[in-house]
Amino acid sequence: MRKHKRSFTPIFWIITFILYGVGLWMTAFYAPVESTMGIVQKIFYVHLPVAISTFLAALVVFIASLGYLLQRKMWWDDLAAAAGKVTALYCSVVLLTGMTWAHSAWGTWWTWSPRLTFSLVLWLLYVVYLIIRPAIDSPQRRALVSAVYGLAAFLDVPLVYMSTKLMPDIHPESIALEPAMQRTLLVWFAPVLMTMGGLITVRYRLTRASRVKDEERTQHDIAPAIAGAPLGGAL
Amino acid sequence: MNDALRQVGLLVSKDLRIEARGKQTISLVIVLGVLIIVVLGLGLGDQSAASGFTASSILWVAYLFGGALCFEKTMAVERSDDALAGLLLAPLDRGVIFISKLLANLALMAALALIVTPIAIMLFRFQLRVPVVEFALVIALGMLGFAAVGTLFSAAVSSTRLQGGLLTIIVFPLTLPVVIMTTQILRRRQEVGGTLDPQGLLSLALFDVVFLIASWLIFEFVLEP
Repeated sequence: MRKHKRSFTPIFWIITFILYGVGLWMTAFYAPVESTMGIVQKIFYVHLPVAISTFLAALVVFIASLGYLLQRKMWWDDLAAAAGKVTALYCSVVLLTGMTWAHSAWGTWWTWSPRLTFSLVLWLLYVVYLIIRPAIDSPQRRALVSAVYGLAAFLDVPLVYMSTKLMPDIHPESIALEPAMQRTLLVWFAPVLMTMGGLITVRYRLTRASRVKDEERTQHDIAPAIAGAPLGGAL
Repeated sequence: MNDALRQVGLLVSKDLRIEARGKQTISLVIVLGVLIIVVLGLGLGDQSAASGFTASSILWVAYLFGGALCFEKTMAVERSDDALAGLLLAPLDRGVIFISKLLANLALMAALALIVTPIAIMLFRFQLRVPVVEFALVIALGMLGFAAVGTLFSAAVSSTRLQGGLLTIIVFPLTLPVVIMTTQILRRRQEVGGTLDPQGLLSLALFDVVFLIASWLIFEFVLEP
């Protein structure tokens, strides 16, 4: 089983990178240049899939947080931590690509429209999530506070999604695309989503491995003391 | 139902009685609120009298920081002398504890607002440009959502090393939507006139309900001696 995992990982990443290559090729040569916005419109092929992936990664944090609160198993916390990191990273990409687009389309890097404001709030929420985790010493307490925070932070996701529908906003609600553009966008979804899943898995395995190692070490240190064995020269 | 109400009444009166005897939290919170008003008021100079939006925003900053301090202190009372262990052993629903802590926090925040707002108006000629009742209604709705999340997290972080700092960094981003809605409703009222935007008020009230129910449900999980 472990051997399978090892051989699957490089293949997964190779396929992801090939798909990125295909996406880049289609963006450069296949999808037509948009008539009013020009070349900058091509940022959209990255912006939308990354935005959707951010929501999905935040959903993983939400589910893992709920799982921890209900079952109190530490692996849920590890999963939430991994997904939290990816959410913050992806949200940063959404903001950066969005700002580049805004500079070209609206003539300003930033404007306080509802969707932009709530996207910034989303980024802040998950950056804070990463800051509060190491600030709490006890693993159980950290897992508990993070889980409650992970649940509450997810409330912002529907706000970002619905902001253009509920309030007047400069951000487009939907964009009409030519078939070639639609196909390019669809192709971009695959590697972006795969990277999200892959990164969460990699981070999860790393955190899990270090936690298991820590637990083993603690047991190794404590077991002789509990058994009444002499502590040796360490003391 | 009557039992639950009686329990809430007892717990709130206990918290407020402790506060009335010591006056530790309220004095601290009011001094902090006045300090924030003075620092921001002096920094802005004459502008503060000119813009109603600036005035309400500065007041909000004072309420938020003061509120965060209230949350921390009302929960710290339970941590001293292991009072929380006694509270948890008592035949009480955890929801009752949440509601009573929330009400105690709201009472303290209301006291803060009642004292700091007139001081700001006197010292810096703050002009709210909104009838007091409407201003109070919007701020009260904002405070309700803020206090719900604050009460929940004050219980979650009270036993950690960072406490206060951690609480503000957690509660502020989570309650940003409520703060944004509150300031937007006031802004629209100041700029456009007429009455308060009903759709804005409804969204704010909906957020309050979601925050209240979510905090009430999760509170049970975070309260540990």
